[in-house]
Amino acid sequence: MLARYVLADLARNPRRTLSTMLGVTLGVGLFCSILFFVDGLSASMTQRAVAPLSIDMQRIVTERVGGALTLVQRFDPAGAAKQGDRIRVILEVHNPGDVSANEVIVRSIPDKDLHFVAGSAMLDGAGLTASADNPFASGAGPTGYNLGVAKSGTTTVMSYVVEAQHNVRLGDTAVNSSFSSRESVIPVAANKPSVVPLDELAQKISQVEGVDAARQLSLVDLGPDSLSSNGRTASGPAKLFGLDADYAAHDPTIKLIEGGIRADGAVLSAESSKAMHAKIGDKVTVALPDSTSFDIVVSGIADVSQARSLFSSRRGSDLEAFIYSQHSMIVSPAVFFDTVIPAFERAATARGSRLKNPPVREIDVTVDRRYLNADPATALIQTKRIAAAVSAVAAHQDFLLDNISNTLGVATGDSTVAKRLFIFLGVPGGFLAALLAGYAGNVLADAQRREQATLRIRGASRRHLLRMLAIRTAGLTAAGSLVGLILGYLLASAILGRESLARATTSRLALSALLGCLGGFVATGLALYITGRRNIDREINEDRARLSRSVPLWRRARLDIVGCVVVVVGTAGALRAHAFDGASGSVYFGRSVTLNLSLLVLPIAVWFAGSLVAARVVGTVLHRTQPDSTSAIGAPLSSLYRLSVGRRPWAIGNGAIIVTLIVALSTSLAGFTSSYDAAKANDARYATGSDIRIVPGPTARRTYTTDQAGLFRTDGVAQASAVVYTIRNVILRSARTSDPANLAAIDPATFGSVAPLRNDNFPTGDADAALRTLQTDPGAVLLSTNMAQFLKAKPGDMLHVLLARGTDVQIEVDFHITGLFERLPGFPDGADAMMSIHQYIAHVPSKTPDFFLASTTTRSRAGLRRALTSLGQGPAAADQLQITTRATTVARDQSSLAALNIAGLVDLDSTFALAMEIVTIAIFVFGLLLQRRREYVTLRAQGLDLRTIRLLIAAEAGTVAIVGAIAGVLVGTAMGYYFVTVLRPLFVLPPSYTLPLRTLLAPIGLVLVATIACTLAGARLVNRLEPTELLRDE
Amino acid sequence: MTVGNSIDAQDLIVDYTSASGTVRALECPAFSVEGGSNIAVMGPSGCGKSTLLGVLAGLARPTSGTVKIGDETISTLPERERIRFRRRCLGMVYQADNLLSHLTVEENLGLQLAICRNDMNNRQPIAPGELLERLGLASLSKRLPDQLSGGQRQRVAVARAVIHRPAVIFADEPTGALDAESAQTVIELLVDVHQEMAATLVLVTHDPNIAKRLERVVTLSRSRAASEQRRVS
Repeated sequence: MLARYVLADLARNPRRTLSTMLGVTLGVGLFCSILFFVDGLSASMTQRAVAPLSIDMQRIVTERVGGALTLVQRFDPAGAAKQGDRIRVILEVHNPGDVSANEVIVRSIPDKDLHFVAGSAMLDGAGLTASADNPFASGAGPTGYNLGVAKSGTTTVMSYVVEAQHNVRLGDTAVNSSFSSRESVIPVAANKPSVVPLDELAQKISQVEGVDAARQLSLVDLGPDSLSSNGRTASGPAKLFGLDADYAAHDPTIKLIEGGIRADGAVLSAESSKAMHAKIGDKVTVALPDSTSFDIVVSGIADVSQARSLFSSRRGSDLEAFIYSQHSMIVSPAVFFDTVIPAFERAATARGSRLKNPPVREIDVTVDRRYLNADPATALIQTKRIAAAVSAVAAHQDFLLDNISNTLGVATGDSTVAKRLFIFLGVPGGFLAALLAGYAGNVLADAQRREQATLRIRGASRRHLLRMLAIRTAGLTAAGSLVGLILGYLLASAILGRESLARATTSRLALSALLGCLGGFVATGLALYITGRRNIDREINEDRARLSRSVPLWRRARLDIVGCVVVVVGTAGALRAHAFDGASGSVYFGRSVTLNLSLLVLPIAVWFAGSLVAARVVGTVLHRTQPDSTSAIGAPLSSLYRLSVGRRPWAIGNGAIIVTLIVALSTSLAGFTSSYDAAKANDARYATGSDIRIVPGPTARRTYTTDQAGLFRTDGVAQASAVVYTIRNVILRSARTSDPANLAAIDPATFGSVAPLRNDNFPTGDADAALRTLQTDPGAVLLSTNMAQFLKAKPGDMLHVLLARGTDVQIEVDFHITGLFERLPGFPDGADAMMSIHQYIAHVPSKTPDFFLASTTTRSRAGLRRALTSLGQGPAAADQLQITTRATTVARDQSSLAALNIAGLVDLDSTFALAMEIVTIAIFVFGLLLQRRREYVTLRAQGLDLRTIRLLIAAEAGTVAIVGAIAGVLVGTAMGYYFVTVLRPLFVLPPSYTLPLRTLLAPIGLVLVATIACTLAGARLVNRLEPTELLRDE
Repeated sequence: MTVGNSIDAQDLIVDYTSASGTVRALECPAFSVEGGSNIAVMGPSGCGKSTLLGVLAGLARPTSGTVKIGDETISTLPERERIRFRRRCLGMVYQADNLLSHLTVEENLGLQLAICRNDMNNRQPIAPGELLERLGLASLSKRLPDQLSGGQRQRVAVARAVIHRPAVIFADEPTGALDAESAQTVIELLVDVHQEMAATLVLVTHDPNIAKRLERVVTLSRSRAASEQRRVS
């Protein structure tokens, strides 16, 4: 019965029903769309994170050169030993290799239940020692027995007797035996399975489920001047790679310029080919470390200058650092294994020689990325499973570098951060939806006051009214939730793209739908129910008095003051605890961004407190400006307006709170997005070194010199500057120690105008002063603080710098440290020292810079495009130049957080905020018409013309809109600032807060347009007001 | 003011359109009131008393028939002119006071004057202070309506209806929500003011005791076929 009445009532008042439902719809829609958005984005994170990986997994073979030695351990008798039994432990060292093993040490330590029998040790059938100590485990070490040289093809047999103290099972663990040699210093356990050949290992790994391909790669550093052809030598160190055509075909960074990879041929790097004037068909002589050499015919020429798979460091200290060598050559795996490895083995085993960089052999595994789940957390579980399966193939002979799992680990962390971030930005929208529902409920419940009073007169009890309210609320929220769910999906799909959303699993989307509906249902439903219940509990007369004069609950509870205290105390606490100084994320260090969720309280508190303070100010000002009571009323419109807003300031204040909250949210989101975009662009510019980086390609026709930066000052390019920089290109030596380091030689006159130098990165002065010193002082060098700490050097100290390290022109020059720097733009690997390029070329004959940095005349995207066009039509049209920009750096950002569609989220939030803005104004206008219907009808009956009534409504709605918009911009500016501060760890460089004034016009303009539109729509209702209503009182 | 405030209605029919069809709310072949006199309209609930009042006061238009006040046929006036006529010539008192709750007593009166200011045609309105003094409300002039009793509020409503010296005063059950004593006061006030201003008074009431106070009583029947008039002494 009650349900039927409520349903009929809802159907009878479609405007009232619709406006209440709209609040719920927007709330649920916002909740759902944000959750769908997160699902869609998370689903893109795997793809984004793994895209830049050059090698998913690397199975590095640990077997050292000259390490063909094996140790076999057995027992006589075998099986088990009873207490008191004596067992002979037999150890056989076998060298099946081509070269001798030196300083072979055998160590054998019996279990504590097996005691060595004195004098039982034997070597090749002869007694070894009469001592009571086990010679294979003597001393506190125990150090083991030195066999000396194990010649190629020989077997040495050792044995000793142990007595069992208890019953013992005789397995590999009963006696722990191992060996080491000068060539293989890491002890190798006895009975280690024989090493599976690389091609067989690759074949087995490629059959593992989830593996797309497994290809072998061998690489080694050759000594300086190792490549020669046509009577010319490729000056400097060189690298040699062993890989097949299939490997090269699947690595797009190995760009074959001419010819191809052949089993009996070699592919030269473009730089080597140019240096030696070597063409296809020419013979190249490769000098090997054992003083031998081999000749091979050039079958191809390639540009490998960006081949990360080949030049990424394999050393734990600087894993993945791109250590490029201009001179390199690719041979087939067979040539590498049959010719190069034996030469290195011979070099390693020759007495007196020390091999610093032995060959590395590995299987590069490519995971089938279609197999990976879209969600990085699930994909991580999958890749770890694949890694375990890959490791299990011929286990214990090597180790696995699981790059893809490391990356996905960071992406998983980033995905969690993304969810938190979206909560940061989505929670205010959720609050707003609940508030809007509450506001709608409040306005509409006021309008129902008369109806409820009538029902009470007719005998309805409080219980009846509450049940009706519950049924009404449930009906409205259920219908609103359903529409909101559909709206949320459609909007998320429209902003994110249908494909992105489709990547998310159905179960995930279903869970989000459930959570969104539940959250929206509970928040908006509660807001509706509570406000309705409060109104039921009010007495009609009391209500009437309260309508005109009562101060709202938030004001009586001083929530605005409480909010301000929370902001001040919270900010002070966070500053003291350095809570705003979070650590940025780094794929390199396997570290995700960490966001302190508790700091979310601050922007939210600023938002609420600011809006309430604004409403308090508005309420107080309006109240104070009300005219004194007099019968001398002037023009009806202005008098009625002043009296209405002055005597009922909280009606304006409450409406203004909602508008302020909405405009503030839009403003803060616009400010955050703008700052985020600017900061990301600055980060990218910092990483690039400037707006544009120009690297002369290995196939460039001309050789650029350091004084030719002017060539790149084309239209749109403000300045260009030459830079000499490569990884570990110098050795720095202080009075205490020395270390290989990365030196950047820059032009002090122009570097400052192209690179975004920051004064706070120069602890001993500012950037200009540092560059001035480099320009004026020929002996000046700047040192990074980390390197200064390592070298135990300080400004004023002497520094010996070995320039052009590893080349035939290397030279040690004495400098003095004139200052320190924290970091420099343009050197992602980290520059350790900086000097003037003019001093550099004064000491080193080469005038060839590694790259040029160029700044554009304007920082805009259009300015960048203009500069790129002019470079493309100018220098880049005439030569092979690799041009990267700050924009391409953003696109290549390996951080999966770069995949975050912040702009999309803001679009989503803004769309809902704008919709809420319209709904708020509509609720205010139509609420006025509902609440004050009798007042307007009376005025009509008194003879006030319709136009004046319409203008009166417009003036009050306009006051709410204008006051709310102004306060919203102010509060939103502060809120946005807090957002940027709290989300500081998202940025590499400290972000500066920018407020896009043009973007702000949208919410402000919309609120004004909505006011006009709603007033016009309301005017139609005013026209329909019939003064005869006053005659129908019961 | 006996000329220009007579009321003459002929062949009045008011129909409402509802979901179930057209409903006839009023059928009144003739209704006239001499200028400056007073009349009570009585009848059972639903007979069309309020509808008649609304049509006579120009708050609504009849479906057919004419209403003439003085020389002006208000039933044919356009909406804007009717509003203008209402604020110039008519005063209304309702069952509820319908005072603006955020305006003080004197502001409620002042507002009525402000609304009529341009249509007074050299008529001098009653000074609010003077009127309130006469009604015994002078001390309450700065109070808001919800700070007054029901009787006091209805007296303010009467003051608002007459402050601009209207030609005709219409009152729809003005004592319906009041106790007997307050009702008596309000009726006396209405009658006194109408006589003093020589305005025509049309009062709709259920209460025969109140009707007795007026010169004529018209009783509408539910059939709406005709109205019966009776002159009282």
